[in-house]
Amino acid sequence: MTNSEQPASANTPPSRGKIAERLLPGGEEPDPRFTLANERTFLAWIRTSLALLAGGIAIEAFTADLFLEPVRKGLAVVLLLLGMLLSAGAAVRWLRVERSMRNKAPLPLPLIVPLLAGAGALAAAVVLIFILWR
Amino acid sequence: MATHPAGSHGDPGLQPERTTLAWGRTMMALVTVSAIFLRWLPAHGLPILLLFAVSAGAAAAIYFTQRHRYSASSRGIARENVDADITAVLWTAFAGVALGGLGIGVVLAG
Repeated sequence: MTNSEQPASANTPPSRGKIAERLLPGGEEPDPRFTLANERTFLAWIRTSLALLAGGIAIEAFTADLFLEPVRKGLAVVLLLLGMLLSAGAAVRWLRVERSMRNKAPLPLPLIVPLLAGAGALAAAVVLIFILWR
Repeated sequence: MATHPAGSHGDPGLQPERTTLAWGRTMMALVTVSAIFLRWLPAHGLPILLLFAVSAGAAAAIYFTQRHRYSASSRGIARENVDADITAVLWTAFAGVALGGLGIGVVLAG
């Protein structure tokens, strides 16, 4: 089908919402497959964040016999804080990637990767030190 | 250009299915988290119901928008233009931040 054969509605970009106009200004609509891939990557980060939240709750709720209270609460807070930061970071990354795709710019590096690695290593170190010290 | 029946997108990469399933997995994770929150109820009391409401509410919101999500992304693939679902992304991230913040509050208060 050539452009001249397409109905007028197919050539007219649909109107975007006010939030989209404000947070994703300018550029061109990217390939829809990339937009959906960006959304799935965001969701994978959100599920990672939810796993950390569940881990934080589980440590606080189920390990009273295993850890001293300060260690237990500290670990739970670290995991919950990391889950919280990853949720926010996932949205920021989704926005930055979407903006880059609209402007055909290189994709930004994921800052939430070192965050996850660093905080995960910290939590593991706390557990290791506690087990050795105990 | 091939024509596709209504509701079909003709994308061999099955992007609408994969994206809708990713939202479905996220919904199941939220349901799991909300169930784990309920285990906190005996120890921390009624504030836990707020955490449960946020996670179960977010899961319900995803459930009730799945049909719309699939049809919107199918239409978008067919016309080569998908609107970035910024509202859903921001609400989902907000739910994660709220759950983490409320959870930290419960841990420190308890």
